[in-house]
Amino acid sequence: MSVYTKPLSDDVVSRTDNTMVLSMGPQHPSTHGVLQIVLEIDGESVVKADPEIGYLHTGIEKTAEGLFWTQAQTAIERMDYLAPESNSLCYALGVEKLLGITDRIPERAQVVRVLVAELTRIASHCVWLGTHGIDLGAISVFFYCFDLRENILDLQEATGGARMHPNYVRIGGLNGDLPDGAIARLDALIAKFPGRMRELRGLLQANPIFQDRTIDVGYLSPDDAIQYGVTGPSLRGSGIAYDVRKAYPYCGYETYDFDVPTRTEGDAYARFLVRLDEMEQSMRIVEQARRRLETPGPVMIDDTKVALPPKETIALSMEALIHHFKLISEGFRVPPGDVYQPVEGPRGELGYYIVSSGENRPYRVRTRPASLYNLQALKCIAPGNLIADLVVMIGSLDPVFGEVDR
Amino acid sequence: MSVGPGHFMLARVDDVARWAQSSSVWPLTMGLACCAIEMMTVTSAEYDIARLGSEVFRSSPRQADLMIVSGRVAQKMGPVVKRLYDQMADPKWVISMGACASSGGMFDNYAVIQGVDTIIPVDVYVPGCPPTPDGLLYAVNLIQQQIREGGRGGIVAKA
Amino acid sequence: MPSTQNPPVAGAAVDPPSVRPQIDDATIERVAPADLRARLEALKSDGYSMLVDLGAVDYLQREPRFDVVYHLLKLAPKPASVAEVGRPARMRVLCGVDEGQRLPSVMDLWKSADWAEREVFDLFGIVFEGHIDLRRIQMPHDWEGYPLRKDYPMRGPERERSPRPAFAGKSNVVAGTPPSGRTFEALQEEVKRARES
Repeated sequence: MSVYTKPLSDDVVSRTDNTMVLSMGPQHPSTHGVLQIVLEIDGESVVKADPEIGYLHTGIEKTAEGLFWTQAQTAIERMDYLAPESNSLCYALGVEKLLGITDRIPERAQVVRVLVAELTRIASHCVWLGTHGIDLGAISVFFYCFDLRENILDLQEATGGARMHPNYVRIGGLNGDLPDGAIARLDALIAKFPGRMRELRGLLQANPIFQDRTIDVGYLSPDDAIQYGVTGPSLRGSGIAYDVRKAYPYCGYETYDFDVPTRTEGDAYARFLVRLDEMEQSMRIVEQARRRLETPGPVMIDDTKVALPPKETIALSMEALIHHFKLISEGFRVPPGDVYQPVEGPRGELGYYIVSSGENRPYRVRTRPASLYNLQALKCIAPGNLIADLVVMIGSLDPVFGEVDR
Repeated sequence: MSVGPGHFMLARVDDVARWAQSSSVWPLTMGLACCAIEMMTVTSAEYDIARLGSEVFRSSPRQADLMIVSGRVAQKMGPVVKRLYDQMADPKWVISMGACASSGGMFDNYAVIQGVDTIIPVDVYVPGCPPTPDGLLYAVNLIQQQIREGGRGGIVAKA
Repeated sequence: MPSTQNPPVAGAAVDPPSVRPQIDDATIERVAPADLRARLEALKSDGYSMLVDLGAVDYLQREPRFDVVYHLLKLAPKPASVAEVGRPARMRVLCGVDEGQRLPSVMDLWKSADWAEREVFDLFGIVFEGHIDLRRIQMPHDWEGYPLRKDYPMRGPERERSPRPAFAGKSNVVAGTPPSGRTFEALQEEVKRARES
């Protein structure tokens, strides 16, 4: 709890219900998106904080019901827009389970999926750190972080065609193999990373102003965290080392060597340290994945009922042409059933509960949004702190409103 | 020609005012969704919108001239955008950044307002999902051109 | 190509968990609404301390119409290392609910149910009894209708097609007429004249 729990003593304040209701947002520089918090404040300290969401509700889940399985992936990728590949990876894994083709995804596709998922985690943490710094007035951090992010976005553009939302991970594998020069860029990024990480740590970690603002602010006890369904770095900052990559490994994560950073203090500073350590662990995984890229191989499953056959074969084979036609105009059918697929997104456990009715379109794609449950914890950690601490707390919980509102 | 003491420079007030306005367009932080991240990237070192004059992004609409609507406008957010636009002081310009703000984008459904130009007048549309930061820089250039020419009207920016 | 505005309705998804053997690692259970509260309390005291997610699915052509799905995770609420956490057990509880039927709220068992139940109410119209503050969360508070139901139109109640672009009126071409003026009707006239001559 912050030192300034009760700035006004009782003999100064004549009535105890001297509170004012203030609306913070939805347009606010520090709420990380469109969030409205209805604050009940007593002077400068918060008595009650009631976040109001829905300002970015896009109806993605309903839109996905009207699109083919592969088309729905484009809509779903725009939920957590800071780490788009984690969304498409989770969805692709779930649909592959429904199709029953999980064992036949090629090895190289799994390696590149891990590579891309970890790079997108680093990119998301870069945005988190940059905006967290800006909220607290440390504006230089923003520029360093976004510079690192540019390298990752360059790679995403090279592989998928777009800087954000590349739609590179597909059901059955990947869109295509890594292009020429991508490996060289990846090596340059791996070489640049340790120096940049040292700079980022040097900017904020031992900074007394930053420490004053984040240590003992926004304490989340492990009990409260579990009650509110908090996962990811926010949960690991409170001491519980639950990471979906270790608990329910997917894409071969059990074969990679990495740690899950955990702190027990439970305050904003602990969450900050956890995320910085996570960036380094992600780079460790990226280096291991890079070594496995030496062996060439296919990146898409060899099943033409699901994956488009190579474009060169259309002119030579009738079946290839028919499969192309069918898959593009009608999509493939997924056997009926339901599945819940979790992955470890940068914010926590991102899960999709996908229901198929046997048709060529999803029947229902229910998202388990990590940020929604993380943000709910704000109701629990905000009271008793200053409004300025609220900004720190929102930053340390790292919500993304594309995911919260969908 | 050497300018020494006692020399005058003549220009029209309109031209000087427009030159000043176009060189210091300060945007409002109307970041909604994914396009907002590209808008933040445009302020970063590699693209640097500050060299075009947009040194700071103001959070208060009273202090901004340009509203960059970046991202999908949900039904709940529509009245908020309209109110913010009304609160901005004249002269003001609007860039509709991205497919979702321009026309609803890929979300042709109940939840997204199909184009922010149904609630506020837009000067420049930037296509893309999201547009690259270069596209947004070009849009700001077009706004500056509009300011210098003294007019307004919809122009589709070729991203 | 099938329209994006008409999603599939019901089809064979009558009871997905019973249609095929399990493909993910959660224990699946179907519970009637009357037994739901007791079963969830039992699961909570059994150690399922985290309500991971609470969602709903609309099976339009089935009795009961909705399925409310509770995803639970068995995670001890005290600091633990990766080895101690291990592979927590997962549970999926499905509850078939009719239209107009109410379900007991589990907000007092798991605080994460607060917003999740509000969202299910907002998008599907299922009321949770005992919820402190059941109001709309994603849609504006005065919105009518429950958008994620299968009989709710994709574009919303008022709009049938996408509106004309706003700049259509500003260009020199009337929106809808090709620049050459050769509309379909004009073409048909041409063909008719060519045939008669």
